[in-house]
Amino acid sequence: MVKVYSISSCPWCDKVKKYLKSKGIEYEERNIEKNDAYRKECEALSGDTVVPVTTVDGKNYVVSFEKDKLDAILGLK
Amino acid sequence: MKETKQKDIIIVGAGMAGLTAALYAARTNCSVLVLENAIVGGQIANAAGIENYPGLPNVMGSTLIETVQGQAEKYGAEVDEFDPIERVDLAAQPKTVETESVIYEAKAVIIATGMERRKLPLPEAPRYEGRGVHYCELCDGHLYEGKTIVVAGGGNAAVDAANYLVRHAKHLYLIHRSAFRADAASVERLRANENVTILLETEIKALKGKGRLASITVLDKKTGEERDIPVDGIFVNIGVVAQTKLFEGQVALGETGRIAAGEDCRTNVPGVFAAGDIREKEVRQLTTAASDGTTAAILAAKYIEREG
Repeated sequence: MVKVYSISSCPWCDKVKKYLKSKGIEYEERNIEKNDAYRKECEALSGDTVVPVTTVDGKNYVVSFEKDKLDAILGLK
Repeated sequence: MKETKQKDIIIVGAGMAGLTAALYAARTNCSVLVLENAIVGGQIANAAGIENYPGLPNVMGSTLIETVQGQAEKYGAEVDEFDPIERVDLAAQPKTVETESVIYEAKAVIIATGMERRKLPLPEAPRYEGRGVHYCELCDGHLYEGKTIVVAGGGNAAVDAANYLVRHAKHLYLIHRSAFRADAASVERLRANENVTILLETEIKALKGKGRLASITVLDKKTGEERDIPVDGIFVNIGVVAQTKLFEGQVALGETGRIAAGEDCRTNVPGVFAAGDIREKEVRQLTTAASDGTTAAILAAKYIEREG
């Protein structure tokens, strides 16, 4: 399952989520404002708490919206 | 080989001007496509609270823009924010807009690309981006709960950003190299906070810190004194830059680098219109962006009717 680390008011988080929906990809949103465990996971993954962070396997990740990189980790290219 | 598609009107940019143009153009029964390379809403998508849009006393930028997008889509306009534009040919007939995956042919084009934030003009700034230097308060403000924040800038956007961020900050500095340009009401609201220090006539000279931002060096321009201030993050709001790169050499620009077009939004190229902050004009507000979008759409539809 794709995981998107995000916060509530974040235009780039919204863009990532809309992109996943447009591709018919299910995802789990992990709001780091509301959940400390998610915040720690996000920080452990990317080394920071800048959002959005998208990951499929918990190892490779993409910060913000970078279509080429997202397509690569999502297996779309 | 890319597929070719035809549209009556292509609107480049999905901020307030572009989406208003889409709404009006779609209601004329033109086929309308809005293309956006960054985020739908543009600068407004980052606005925490808009207090000067008539009829809406206090509205989130994202809420307002979603509403306008919904209105435009209701009348048949399409919005695509996932297929970046690579090049345009505005002199051709029909005009072409080539994206990553499609070549669009259009009878008229409305340019509504708006502005993007000016980057902090310090050589070390890129190194700290996302690690103390930020350009989106809504996205990154949460990182600084109980910390010391700087807002750089003295216009309305900077003061609005400070009024939003102050709720997170232990202490907030607003630093600007000259006098305030922001509305007095917003400045007064900021001054009312006990945890705010306003440094005018002050320039940020350097960013310091190993890996992450830890302090800034500022110059008091009145006294000539330089000093370091320990900070955790800085949000940059020092003006905007016109998004004209796609159209270089194809439409005439004005004195400030924006697209030259009068109140009728017509550029020097027939069938090409400029709307919103990208248009060379004196007043640039959300209301004037909506006004430009309206004008550009109606005149683009008339152009198509006349030229066939």
